[in-house]
Amino acid sequence: MIWIGDVLVSHGEGGVYSERMLGNARVWDPFRSKLAALYHKGTGVEITAETRVLYLGAANGTTVSHVADYADVVYAVEFAPRPMQDLLEVARRRRNIVPVMADATRPEQYAPLVESVDLIYQDVAQPDQAMIAIRNSVFLRDGGHLILMLKTRSVDVRKEPDIVFQETVDALISAGFVVQESLWLVPYHQDHAAIICTKPEV
Amino acid sequence: MQSYWFGDVGDGNCTPSSGDVQAKADRVRSIHTSMDSFIPLSWEISVACGACRDRADYIAKLREVCFTAADRDIRQQYSGKDAELLQMVRTLDEMDTVINLLTERAVEWYQLRHPTFTRKYRKTPAHILVKNIREKSRGALSFVAGEIERLSATRTELAKAVSGRANDVMPNTSALIGGLVAARLMANAGGLEDLSRMPASAIQVLGARTALFAHLRTKSPSPKHGIIFQHRRVHNAPRDCRGKVARVLAGKLAIAARIDHYRGVADPVFLESAQARIDLTGTVRGKETGKTTGKETEP
Repeated sequence: MIWIGDVLVSHGEGGVYSERMLGNARVWDPFRSKLAALYHKGTGVEITAETRVLYLGAANGTTVSHVADYADVVYAVEFAPRPMQDLLEVARRRRNIVPVMADATRPEQYAPLVESVDLIYQDVAQPDQAMIAIRNSVFLRDGGHLILMLKTRSVDVRKEPDIVFQETVDALISAGFVVQESLWLVPYHQDHAAIICTKPEV
Repeated sequence: MQSYWFGDVGDGNCTPSSGDVQAKADRVRSIHTSMDSFIPLSWEISVACGACRDRADYIAKLREVCFTAADRDIRQQYSGKDAELLQMVRTLDEMDTVINLLTERAVEWYQLRHPTFTRKYRKTPAHILVKNIREKSRGALSFVAGEIERLSATRTELAKAVSGRANDVMPNTSALIGGLVAARLMANAGGLEDLSRMPASAIQVLGARTALFAHLRTKSPSPKHGIIFQHRRVHNAPRDCRGKVARVLAGKLAIAARIDHYRGVADPVFLESAQARIDLTGTVRGKETGKTTGKETEP
């Protein structure tokens, strides 16, 4: 990842969401993007020009645009039509984004489109986030990484965030993932946790 | 055999799909992939297949297909007849909020200039009050009052449009409860499809979220009605049978919403029997109190 001092940046065409620029580098704000927050916490998965990414829950394409600055190709999956309009505009100007309008809970909808990837990044506001990751793991190459941004409030508002967190980690482990690291994204985001896993080589 | 966006692959053979981008996008939607035996595609196959020259060409062609598919899906989702009605209802409700806020503020401002002014023991409707403020004030306050009047006129037009559109989009629901309330129910549910999938008990308390969750969490009584209270059949019913009327009405509304969503045309036979059933519920108690509660029919 590229740092200027202690500011995380990415190189690409600016003006996607009126982000701040440092010279010709785009500032990647940890308070806006959970992935940037993860890197600011001193961890995360290195994205290089060879990395192929499956991005679930692409939303308006703000974080997607930064990932695309680093990666080889980003398959950006989004379900809702309104954010999809924004995402398409971002994808039109970044030629390594493949926009996929589909439901991340149903990978069979976009299976004919997505190749095997090195990294799955998941940031969806759905109740069963572990199940979505497990279903999509067919796209992940052996030894590839999964970064799951857990919105504990989307899983169950009445449950304690800690319990939701633990249940999700357990579900991922019993599905065969190796959990490398899991942490809360405070002070950047409340009630959000990041879980970094690898898919073991067979 | 496995089907991918560029063609079919299996047994060492590969058949590239024919047709333009549009045809390819339509084909992707029709592919039913079984995830049990699924193998993610690789771009090398598509080159061997003759569908693409190299990786750059592969990504470029794939993007074309994805853009076409996404454009088509967005268009399809927005073309639902309820999509625009949803925006109209939400605009209407927001205009109501704005008009109320501005009116309150204008009255307070007017009171400063007229220390003897009071609304106690007067039943001046809000729009007359605003008119008076405009006529009796000068300068900015008069302009503001005039602007509120214009907003109210726009609001009235919008309400008519909502009602008309609702009669068209959801004829059965509108016939039972009036276009405006029907549209509000639909907007609160999130769309006609969502409304048609709701159980009657949910429709009954739609819009009474706070009361419902207070009931689920504490021992407070359950809400009897939400948005459907706005209909006179419910709010004109005597207190002790309001819940009953609301329940029966919600039951019929759930059926009406399903007819609206899946058939889209008014069903006179259903409407007649539903109206009769709801009227009956309202009048049983109504006779004793001397009120007729369920006799009204929709204009």
